[in-house]
Amino acid sequence: MIGVLSYLVFFATTASILAIAVLGLNLQWGNTGLFNGGVVAFFGAGAYGTLILGGPPQEGMVGGFALTYPMALLGGMAVAGVMAWIVGLLTLRLRHDYLAIATFGVAVAFENLMRNAEWLAGGAKGVRGFERPFREAIGDGFLYNLVFFVAVLLILIATYVFLERLVASPFGRLLRAIREDEEAAQSLGKSPSRVRLTAFVTGSVIMGLAGGLYGTFYAFVSPQDVLPTLTFQVWAMLIVGGAGNNRGAVFGAFLIWGAWTISGWALSRFAPVEAQLYTGSVQFILIGAVIVGMLVWRPQGLLPERLIVSQQGSNPVNKRGE
Amino acid sequence: MIQNLIDGVLTGSYLSLGAIGLTLVMHILRFANFSHAELLSLGAYSALVFDALMSGLVPTLAEKLAPLSLTWALIIAIPFSMIVTGISALLIDKLIFRRVREKGQELSMVFASFGMALIVRNIIGLIFGLSPQLYSKDIAFAMVLSLDPLILIKPDQVFVLVAALILMLILHLVLSRTTFGYALRAVAENPSLAQVNGVNLPRTIMYVWLIGGALASVAGVFYGLSHQLIPVMGRDLVLPIFAATIVGGIGSVYGAVLGGFIVGIAANLALVVLPSGYTPSVPFLLIIIVLMIRPHGLFGEARA
Amino acid sequence: MSLTKYMWAAFGLALALIAQPKAGYAQDCTTKIGAVLPTSVDWGRPIAETAQFAVDQVNAAGGVNGCQIEMVLRDTQVDPKVGVDAAKALVDLEGVNLLLGAVSSGVSMPILTSVTVPGGVMQMSCCSSSTAFTKLSEEGKTNGLWFRTFATTGVQSAVAAKVASDQGFKSIAVLYKNDDWGQDMARLIAADFAAVGVEVTASVAINDGQPSYRGEVTEALASQPEALYLALYPAEGTAAVREWISLGGSQKMIMANSLKSDEFRDNVGLQYLGSALGTDTASPRTESADAFRAAYVERFESEPNGPGLANSYDAAMISLLAMQAAGEGATGAEMAAAVPKVTDPNGTPITADTEGFAQARDILAGGGTVSYQGATGDVRFDANGDVSAPAVVWSFNEGGTQEVEYLSLAEVDAFIGSLK
Repeated sequence: MIGVLSYLVFFATTASILAIAVLGLNLQWGNTGLFNGGVVAFFGAGAYGTLILGGPPQEGMVGGFALTYPMALLGGMAVAGVMAWIVGLLTLRLRHDYLAIATFGVAVAFENLMRNAEWLAGGAKGVRGFERPFREAIGDGFLYNLVFFVAVLLILIATYVFLERLVASPFGRLLRAIREDEEAAQSLGKSPSRVRLTAFVTGSVIMGLAGGLYGTFYAFVSPQDVLPTLTFQVWAMLIVGGAGNNRGAVFGAFLIWGAWTISGWALSRFAPVEAQLYTGSVQFILIGAVIVGMLVWRPQGLLPERLIVSQQGSNPVNKRGE
Repeated sequence: MIQNLIDGVLTGSYLSLGAIGLTLVMHILRFANFSHAELLSLGAYSALVFDALMSGLVPTLAEKLAPLSLTWALIIAIPFSMIVTGISALLIDKLIFRRVREKGQELSMVFASFGMALIVRNIIGLIFGLSPQLYSKDIAFAMVLSLDPLILIKPDQVFVLVAALILMLILHLVLSRTTFGYALRAVAENPSLAQVNGVNLPRTIMYVWLIGGALASVAGVFYGLSHQLIPVMGRDLVLPIFAATIVGGIGSVYGAVLGGFIVGIAANLALVVLPSGYTPSVPFLLIIIVLMIRPHGLFGEARA
Repeated sequence: MSLTKYMWAAFGLALALIAQPKAGYAQDCTTKIGAVLPTSVDWGRPIAETAQFAVDQVNAAGGVNGCQIEMVLRDTQVDPKVGVDAAKALVDLEGVNLLLGAVSSGVSMPILTSVTVPGGVMQMSCCSSSTAFTKLSEEGKTNGLWFRTFATTGVQSAVAAKVASDQGFKSIAVLYKNDDWGQDMARLIAADFAAVGVEVTASVAINDGQPSYRGEVTEALASQPEALYLALYPAEGTAAVREWISLGGSQKMIMANSLKSDEFRDNVGLQYLGSALGTDTASPRTESADAFRAAYVERFESEPNGPGLANSYDAAMISLLAMQAAGEGATGAEMAAAVPKVTDPNGTPITADTEGFAQARDILAGGGTVSYQGATGDVRFDANGDVSAPAVVWSFNEGGTQEVEYLSLAEVDAFIGSLK
């Protein structure tokens, strides 16, 4: 049973890290309506930033800053934030499809840079960062994973609380106002482009946080970690969980990552030996079918957005789907 | 340099064909269809089947039309594959996209298409294996157009370019001279108004899928003829095709044609400027530049 | 339904699935080993097939320590997250002490640092080539649990330089796969070609999954080299070489062992590959060394040609031999410690097949050591889990490939020394 527990802790750690990224995306898409197709770039900036800033000097590479861990993690988030700020300035006036493709392009260019720039990020062989923090004190067995999980969980909860407060604040109302009707918001003297940029950067910093934790957990990051698959995974989590709803975002992360891993596990366990070689393809078909099925069955997500109207007298809560 | 330019035009021809279908679907159905490039794979692989079938039935058809590596069998296979792919596109819409469309919003469609792409790609991989396949294993040698500077062109690619241009011309005539073309444009402008004026919306959508699928199938065959068939070819092609669509402006058929050529040329010219490791980024840098100057693409229009 | 209800339902389902007993193995004794390989990728599936083939042979010989081996195979999707999770599930849920995989260094590395080393599980990769593993090991962070049967890229690159110089090539263009292996190869080969006086006219990266390699090939061609060096896998190798030849590029080529593939030969066409020479690590010159090839041909009806196949076979075989040598119920660390017993140069040579395994079992039971004569040679690991081996120069023929020249380990080492 300890094996099961150990695996569940490990699984939940990865899922929680992904959930943080989904929360970041939810701020951008769910609350502000920004179609960020380059999630993985900001996640990757956080991971690379953290490992390079906190890592020891490596031959033929910039870095070796060996910052203390919290500084490295904050630095990774800052890298993601600065990148988001530049990308945002360039692209945020684009709408939906155009924005999605432009940011997707940013992510492809980011992966490309990491893959080729050996002096910056180790090239295709990736960056070996630093030993996981506190490893000396508590070893690297089950206990470590448990402690790490608790830390990630606390960060997830903190992010969740922060975003819930943010969304309920006047700024959150402003975000939704701009999402629903930009011109109306503008006529009230608000600056949509600045507000959108703020939301975009904040969401990206949160993705960078997730990336930083991810890099810390594996003590390694390579271009293979920043392929577009991750963007797709994070989006699928948000859409299935329910865009606009932070609880939905977290739930979606656990559900999709669960489906992703359980399908592989179940196939390896129950598929006949002769079919084992084909399970990779079958698993992708299953994953595709789950996502398509969810969207056919419940396109608004499992936990849809609760639209709160602040005026008294109107219908206060849209209970649809609750 | 000149060689890169020519290569770019030749690469652009199948990108354009792919982009035309995508731009129509994105315009009429208002969603970014990530499974569009899978229609290219579907077309290319169904042509492979029909090609084998034809050559098996009538062995004389398997002879090459020198200097092309093309055979009559493959030429006959193309219309069959167009039909199969068009109908598949329609079926996927009937089974999946229409249901999502009725309940959800634009983004649900985008992700449904992502899911569909995964499914189609891996089913092809299960059926045909993961390794590359070829219509013809013979290598068609390039013709030397000039020695200094060295300029080479492959006959197959000239055929592809000419055939693509002819198809585009036919499409142009259909769109500009027929009632269907008017209906299509009306729906694209304003679906409800078009319906009020007697345009049959479901039927128009049906034709869009048929045309998009058929053109994608041709693009897939042309791609396979110039390169090779692999189950993940959709994954490799989806981004350049999107780039072409976006650069041209969503909804503009002519934009898609031009966008295809621009992306093709940019990808080939990139090597003159950048180390080859960076080539995958080039189409995207191009998109970002184009969009900074024209936020709706070269020929696209703003719409609510 | 509320969120909590969903959560409990999902949790319950997960527990139910995990708790479900596996039927059918009640009386037989079965030992599970894990494998994390990219079965959804074109070159990954044959690697997994070959590992399973080795396991089948061992089972035919009666299994390890009297137990049949069940290889639980998981797909990595070439996604590190997925691979690490699969590895963790294999270790925690299936209780494996031995893990084969992964292929890509970017997947193997996080598995090593976050699953196998913390879990004390032996990890044997067929194909991860990154030099980062050697460094990690030198720093003592692998706890001796890490092995790979992929001969260091240095041998391949040196032998390629020797071929170029023997053939009298004056200039050469390099096309390399833009991953960690390819980048390593490109760097090494540039130095080695320079050392033997062959000019590298262009070094062009070939990215995965590009629709067309026309521009890349044009660039190499424009540098007007006398010959072409290819560090590519079959899928992009086929595309690039067909393009190269159709544009009138030189048919003098030197290929890394990743192109030793029937698929590549058939799709490019033997008529164009007549003057193409490949490099590879080799089996030693013993009669028994052909055992792997013969058995493979019988089973798959094709030569074991393709990236990583021989390496994958050796990875599985050596691991299982080590498992046997370590005795019943051995931990991962004990197995890893037993690896020198089965790759002992002074041990009894054993062949790479069912009989070889049975013979090894008897010798090991009597306290002896064996020298496994593997598909990639008489594999020997150094302190960092890296392997060195003799080399061979090969070319394509009708039946598959043929040997052109054999270089013993001593000759390889001498040549590498002469380059410095």
